Amino acid sequence: MSKPARTKPEINPTKHTLFEDGQAFVYGTAMCALALMMLKTLGLITGQTAGLALLISYVIDAPFGAVFFIVNLPFYWFGYKRMGLKFMLKTLVCVVLISVFTEIFPQFISFETLNPVFGAIMIGFLTASGLMAIIRHGGSLGGIGILALYIQDAFGFKAGYVQLAFDAVLFAVAAFILPLELVGYSLLGAVVANLVIAINHRRDRYIAT
Amino acid sequence: MLSYNVSMPAPHPLPQNPPKHTALEDIQGLAIALVTTAIGLSFIAQLGFLTGQTAGLALVISYLTGLSFSWVFWLINIPFYVLAYFRMGTEFTLKSALSVTILSILMAYLPPLMTFETLNPIFGTIAFGVLTGFGLLGVFRHKSSLGGLGVLALIAQDHFGVRAGLVQIAFDAVLFTVVFFLFDAHVVLYSLFGALILNGVIAFNHRRDIYIAN
Repeated sequence: MSKPARTKPEINPTKHTLFEDGQAFVYGTAMCALALMMLKTLGLITGQTAGLALLISYVIDAPFGAVFFIVNLPFYWFGYKRMGLKFMLKTLVCVVLISVFTEIFPQFISFETLNPVFGAIMIGFLTASGLMAIIRHGGSLGGIGILALYIQDAFGFKAGYVQLAFDAVLFAVAAFILPLELVGYSLLGAVVANLVIAINHRRDRYIAT
Repeated sequence: MLSYNVSMPAPHPLPQNPPKHTALEDIQGLAIALVTTAIGLSFIAQLGFLTGQTAGLALVISYLTGLSFSWVFWLINIPFYVLAYFRMGTEFTLKSALSVTILSILMAYLPPLMTFETLNPIFGTIAFGVLTGFGLLGVFRHKSSLGGLGVLALIAQDHFGVRAGLVQIAFDAVLFTVVFFLFDAHVVLYSLFGALILNGVIAFNHRRDIYIAN
């Protein structure tokens, strides 16, 4: 049997309203912030810019929200050039929301026990669900993804490989800094998140933009 | 006498020949949805709050009798499978029975894996509404349910011309009235707030015209 095409169907896709986008960004960033709280509680990292920001925040003992915001600054320019003003502004809103949420959530919730295997899987689910909501509503959490697309355009080097290479370096560095056990749980969480997104982020099924 | 329009149109036109989920997609979709629903429920269970529908009834009974939520929820749902079989067919009934069973098992084993040192009641209530709302969306999008009243409400609509939504609201109204006499007022208010968020998440995001697969 031939594989079904994954292109967008030939129907006029519904446009999200401003309110729908807003609730999706609050939902998506809150889910990611909850996942980040679990990562911090367990001392784990994840991939991409969020992972880099976490690792930096562990090493220099700085608040994650501030580091994440700063790490993302260079990427807005690429985002603007490659994806346009609307995407760039939505991304900025999402990054700011995450930075704020991760700083204020600890006042409202802290964990007494959190099983690391369960936590890593939960982190994967929450991150994936949050990221899918953000992406489906035309935003992003900035970062490497945009740079990777830019490199693909300019040098013909596949975007996926750029991201993979970034994560490989990040986890290799983390292996020298963090206990190996924690690096393993971190990998589990990142693999779960990426699998969930790979299976469920289907523009041919969730058709609104 | 009030007359209800029995054949209410769908809120949005359904797509023609929607793509089908594969078995593997259904399994991963339901797994994620049920784990997330269980996490959401464990937030309010640890706060001692309630919710609506059969899950709410099961929580009330478990708080009052000290029986485990898992068993109460699982047992309460059994009669509804019979109704579901006649109204919604075999696939939906089996998926619902499976979803209810898995959620019951998850609720027995997951909560000890994640306990809170501090949990602000408003934060916990919102987290419940959002997480369980997301979980239920996943359950519905993969053509399952968590059993319960929904099917009974649909049958009431078919046979007696009473809108399904009104049956569910009436059930929740009775449930919360009983709860109001048995629990503290703040428990009732937080619980209503959580149910509102949960239903808001579903109302705004369960769109068969936007997520078209089934």
